[in-house]
Amino acid sequence: MYKRIALIENPPINTCVGCRTCESACSFWHERAFNPEKSRIRVTRTEYGISYPITCRQCFKAPCVDACPTRAIHRNAETGVVLVSEGLCIGCGLCVERCPFGAIVLHPDKKVAIKCDLCGGTPACVKFCPERVLRHIDVNVAAQGRRRSWVESKVGGGA
Amino acid sequence: MALRYSGYVGKYLRVDLTSGKISEVHLEEQLTRLYLGGNGFGTKILWDEVPVGVDPFDPENRLIFSTGPLTGTVWPTAGRLEVIGKSPLTGIYGDANAGGHFAPELKFAGYDMIVFQGKSKKPVYLWVEDGRAELRDASHLWGKGTWEAERTIRKDHGDGGIKVAGIGQAGENRVRFAGIITSGRAAARTGLGAVMGSKNLKCVAARGTFDVGVAKDEFYDYAYEIHQQILANEYTPSTSRYGTLGLVNPMNEISRFPTKNFQRGDFPYANEISGEILEKKFLVRRVGCYACPISCGRTVAVRDGPYKGTYTEGVEYETINALGARTWNRDMASILKGDLLCDEYGIDSISTGGVIAFAMECFENGIISEGDTDGLKLEWGNPEIVLELIEKIAKREGIGNVLAEGVVRAAKKFGKGAEYYAMHIKGMEMSAQDPRSQQSYILAHITGTRGADHLKGFPCIDETGYVDAAVRRYGEQYLPEIVDGLSTKYKPMVVKDGEELGAVADSAIVCKFGTHFPPAYYWPELARGISLATGMQLGIAELKEIGERIYNLQRCFNVREGIGRRDDTQPRRILVESGTGRAKGHAAGPLQELMLDEYYELRRWDKKTGWPTRAKLEELGLKNVAEDMEKMGRLPARGKRRR
Ligand code: SF4
Ligand code: SF4
Repeated sequence: MYKRIALIENPPINTCVGCRTCESACSFWHERAFNPEKSRIRVTRTEYGISYPITCRQCFKAPCVDACPTRAIHRNAETGVVLVSEGLCIGCGLCVERCPFGAIVLHPDKKVAIKCDLCGGTPACVKFCPERVLRHIDVNVAAQGRRRSWVESKVGGGA
Repeated sequence: MALRYSGYVGKYLRVDLTSGKISEVHLEEQLTRLYLGGNGFGTKILWDEVPVGVDPFDPENRLIFSTGPLTGTVWPTAGRLEVIGKSPLTGIYGDANAGGHFAPELKFAGYDMIVFQGKSKKPVYLWVEDGRAELRDASHLWGKGTWEAERTIRKDHGDGGIKVAGIGQAGENRVRFAGIITSGRAAARTGLGAVMGSKNLKCVAARGTFDVGVAKDEFYDYAYEIHQQILANEYTPSTSRYGTLGLVNPMNEISRFPTKNFQRGDFPYANEISGEILEKKFLVRRVGCYACPISCGRTVAVRDGPYKGTYTEGVEYETINALGARTWNRDMASILKGDLLCDEYGIDSISTGGVIAFAMECFENGIISEGDTDGLKLEWGNPEIVLELIEKIAKREGIGNVLAEGVVRAAKKFGKGAEYYAMHIKGMEMSAQDPRSQQSYILAHITGTRGADHLKGFPCIDETGYVDAAVRRYGEQYLPEIVDGLSTKYKPMVVKDGEELGAVADSAIVCKFGTHFPPAYYWPELARGISLATGMQLGIAELKEIGERIYNLQRCFNVREGIGRRDDTQPRRILVESGTGRAKGHAAGPLQELMLDEYYELRRWDKKTGWPTRAKLEELGLKNVAEDMEKMGRLPARGKRRR
């Protein structure tokens, strides 16, 4: 199966705290500069202190791929990663409009679409996330963990 | 000429509010080498540009918003903002520092710093976006609380990513301890919010898409290492879990928890206002500042009772003490409500709690009565009174108008011996460390350059005895006294070191969570991190010298305003009354002067006057400063060796 970046929280202690360390690390890994506007992961913070990091889901039927008029976006069949070919991208922003999560954006200088490419296998955001709530994981494997903690909390895990 | 160091943007803004003129200035290499950033930049500008004796509310006062070379990078805790100006509370050097996400945004928007001067005719705010800045009308924001003003600006511009730092009603009303707030995080102390109000400046709003670059790519890996080092520190988990509130119970156990206006150091109901209670009953989520591995902040909610519906961000140990034990208030929900009011009105919760406790003790002793208090009975422990007084102070109504002046001015007004109950140093209300139970604070409070303060020297080693950290930092030879809270031995050395480390931390800018407590990293890591970011190749000695230079210049600023050894003193109560619990039998009086002597000697300041000497100033490259001080008759006599 395919891995993506997933948020695995264990409230109230282990949650995304909105520190944006992931944004900062991501931008440097890809751009050799610190700039959240060039980050491929974005943390949304609500007025009520809720934070949630959003990055590409690496969709199987990717709306961004379908939207792209120049076929600049494709899905690597082997790894499952959805990638943008910068040379083909014309910066029209259709993919940005279509992505249900706001996970793909236009680069502020280069004006081409940028999105999470899983850093080639060892994502910077996962490495840096101090709360360790970001995981690079197969969602079905993540679901195993969810099932286990649900069973333990509802059915009881012992004493 | 473009700056050759990385980390910085290389440009800053000068804003003359009188004329409305905004100019872009190149950051000078000299300033970066000698003063590093944030706190250092502000200190230098204040020294150069604010003449002696200027009223802090005069347009001639400066208000400086500054970042540092690490701000906006992935260095742990690189999100802090430093604000500097002459304090209307103390009349001397003032600064305050806030976390959150504003400071990085200012750099992404293209500026290292903003220097405000003058006074606008009508309320304005500064809008900074991608290398452009303009003053905009703020009449629709005037009179609004800080959260509300922020929301309005984000809505007006239609961009949720805008970061705002500004004042509430208290700053507008020139409450002398008004702060500057960014999303519930406060640059609270020394009343710089009132300076902002006096300039008719409501807030600064920033948005940017520019890069912050560093000299060496290796910086990224090294920053990761330091993140891990902080996460691995033994004191980090409890700080992350309970925030600063993790301190309530331990500090209460060692009677270091100021209670009833410093009558005692322990509060019998501390359990009811602890970090554990906060987590159990009020916690919604933990909240982190930019690039922080600790995340001491939290969103909390009151779900029932009279304060139901209170929703606030980041209640701190200091606030819990000031609005709680200090006023004998054990009602946690009311403290959270008070915290929200302080954030929204924009006032320093430490000074607020201090001035309320002071008024309560004056009331208890018949110095003031209901005739002076708009009919309020200022009884200890009444949460309604605490909240009512916060409102009155922020709005300067009735008794609030007197208390908004701070304890020193209020005591003068009350007379009848009220000054004995004014718990302040150099005019600033004391923070929540009873120094009788942790004697390093006898010194650290009185040598702080902004008045009574825990965050300059910030000596933590002897709090409850952090042996490992003490050995890592200073070696084994100072054990056991160095970690003994009831010993003054070696503490002047620890305080001096903490002050210089703090000046560098506030200039880099990083949080003292990491450098001071938890004591996770120190000079070597800071020197390497700053060097990799800037390309300066700073050694430890050079970095320490920067810290010492900044601290000495702050002291000179204060000496120029008339400060000397006689002002370096704890309030009389701390000097003559015994502490409680482990501090029973310990008054600070006999110890203070001994520690001061040793401290001045270490600093090579004159022991009689407390003034920096020419030799020290020249050693730090501050020859011009020495000349100025001499002209003013504020340089210790030359030649004669004072021993
Ligand atoms: S960018 Fe958006 S639409 Fe495209 S694959 Fe990722 S999540 Fe799906
Ligand atoms: S680094 Fe982790 S905790 Fe911090 S904002 Fe990103 S996902 Fe949230």
